[in-house]
Amino acid sequence: MNPDFAVQVEGLTIQFGSFTAVDDISFSVKKGEIFGFLGANGAGKTTTIRTLCGLLTPTKGHVTVAGHEYKEGDLSIKKRVGYMSQKFTLYNDLSVKENLVFAANLRKISKSTHEKRIKELFAFLGFTHSDTTLVRDLPVGLKQELALAAATLHNPEIIFLDEPTAGVSPAARERFWALIRQLSAAGKTVFVTTHYLDESEQCDRIALMRTGKIIALDSPAELKKKTFPESLYELEPMSGQSQSAILSQLEKIKQSGAALEIQPYGMRYHVIVKDSRQWDLVKEQIKPTFSYKPTLPSMEDVFIRLVEGVDR
Amino acid sequence: MTFDFSVTRTLSMAKKEVRHILQDPFTLAVALGFPLLLLTFFGYVIDFNVKNIRLLAVDSDHSRASRQLMEVFESSQYFKLTAAPSSGQIVHLLDEEKAKAVLMIEPGFGKDWARNRTAKAQVILDGADNSIAGTILTYLSGIQAAALKKLSGEEFRQTITLKTRFLYNPELNSQWFVIPGLTVVIIGIISILLTALTVAREWENGSMELLLSTPVRPLEIIIGKLAPYILIGLGAVVTVYLAARGLFQVPFKGNHLLYLVACALFLGTTLAQGLVISVVARQQALAIQLANITGMLPSLLLSGFIFPIESMPRFFQIFTSILPAKWFMVIIRGIFLKGAGLLDLKTPFIALFIINVVLIFIAAKSFKKDLEP
Repeated sequence: MNPDFAVQVEGLTIQFGSFTAVDDISFSVKKGEIFGFLGANGAGKTTTIRTLCGLLTPTKGHVTVAGHEYKEGDLSIKKRVGYMSQKFTLYNDLSVKENLVFAANLRKISKSTHEKRIKELFAFLGFTHSDTTLVRDLPVGLKQELALAAATLHNPEIIFLDEPTAGVSPAARERFWALIRQLSAAGKTVFVTTHYLDESEQCDRIALMRTGKIIALDSPAELKKKTFPESLYELEPMSGQSQSAILSQLEKIKQSGAALEIQPYGMRYHVIVKDSRQWDLVKEQIKPTFSYKPTLPSMEDVFIRLVEGVDR
Repeated sequence: MTFDFSVTRTLSMAKKEVRHILQDPFTLAVALGFPLLLLTFFGYVIDFNVKNIRLLAVDSDHSRASRQLMEVFESSQYFKLTAAPSSGQIVHLLDEEKAKAVLMIEPGFGKDWARNRTAKAQVILDGADNSIAGTILTYLSGIQAAALKKLSGEEFRQTITLKTRFLYNPELNSQWFVIPGLTVVIIGIISILLTALTVAREWENGSMELLLSTPVRPLEIIIGKLAPYILIGLGAVVTVYLAARGLFQVPFKGNHLLYLVACALFLGTTLAQGLVISVVARQQALAIQLANITGMLPSLLLSGFIFPIESMPRFFQIFTSILPAKWFMVIIRGIFLKGAGLLDLKTPFIALFIINVVLIFIAAKSFKKDLEP
């Protein structure tokens, strides 16, 4: 057991009957890190996170969380981590305060401590509604923040967030990520799953999961560098260009053999350069149709490439 | 596994559950409304005592004897006589539900009687409604005896008299029979349904995950969640008891402590049954269905509440033995009406106890497996 790690997973496999949800994965999360778990629905993110919180028993492998190795029936891990599930788990028919006090009682936090802690959390969240408001009357973004408060009442060392921003407005998502960064700055380890690729750029490191396996794990910058050793250019069509002109120019690039691949990117195109000498020639020729600039790959580029690499 | 049962956690579970009950109109309605509805329904609306049966009388004899016969029918209070317009319309009137039975007195009835020959009269019954027809049939032998007495005068000497005395319920008042039995139905429905719902709701809501991610123990979840429903169940027992004694004047002949013990035993089995359902059904809609099929139907139909088990086909007589409701019904009626003691009721008590232990074992096993990783 390495004391620098908040989570250590070795050879973890989880099967439900004959279905293998998580297939022999190993990784570690450093203390104080924001660790992102990325992947499509059904990739095994939630199953992994539930296992790390002690909600599921591993079929094979070892899991050590907050310095405690998972043993069936042992509550040491549950006492030390906070878990916010993908599904909204607070009670809609109870008030904000009732929900938080209930969560505090389940963790046997004394009255004086939890009252103080709730005040702190409200200040941290900037929560200004009355605590007698029924949870069902709060907007979705605030509900998620409240769920975060309920998961961190007992001041856990590690906080597991399973798609905390699913279905939340962009502004509320931004707010939520600010909270995550603050938690990390306060020394907490945050383990977060998401399928928003832009969010993953805010993590210190990300693991990319696909059909039960981790296919890549690194910091966002390293992942981009490793996945795209070639240079990448973004082409933006000049205004007033016809579709046929654009297509014929793209065809020209293809013919020149300069590009490894051309991918549509919104209204623009990303050119992955294969032969930089050819590219230098051809980029001058397409100037009337496109403006171009070198760019860095987005996580979306990385994701598509990695997943396609696995599929090939 | 260390045993660190926490009273704080259990109590806060229970407190939260009470808040849910107060917030949820459906649960509240089932808990409070159901017992009252059933009491009114079975106490006032449904009456198994058939009285004032509409009887058409076709008197073709017009003798003193025939009039006396009709008087006997009338004075029994079971029948309400109307003279039939003509014998041709009889079937028509039965079809139109204008009458449930017809009394036909043929010409010569009086003469036969006077000559000491068998005097014959015919009763035609509407067999489509066989429960009323059956009841009328049982009244007829009484009427026959009364008619014999009336027509022959006081001096008529009966050589053999069969005197019937009904023990425990001398007037054969059906309410005395039905109301105590309601205890079975009400506990059966309330505790199975509400227990199944309360756990299913936790799964459906997703909040079971919140509970399980904290150090709370499965036993604390179960006891905390069930405590309010045990109280509601006992509340229903008391309500039915008070209504039976106060409103319907049913006598209570037995031991109150034994009664309470029996109720607690039955409550234990129904709560366990509800828990088993909630493990199978993680959605409230499905839980309601299962609770109705395994809880409400047996306690209403197969417990002997209305339909006697003795007259069921042999298969059902044996099958009903695995239903706790059947045994509890025997116990409740025995204690209430007969004042039966533990020794008199040893078979149903032992049966109920065994079912109780088995069900609680299954519930604890399956529920634990469901909750613990």
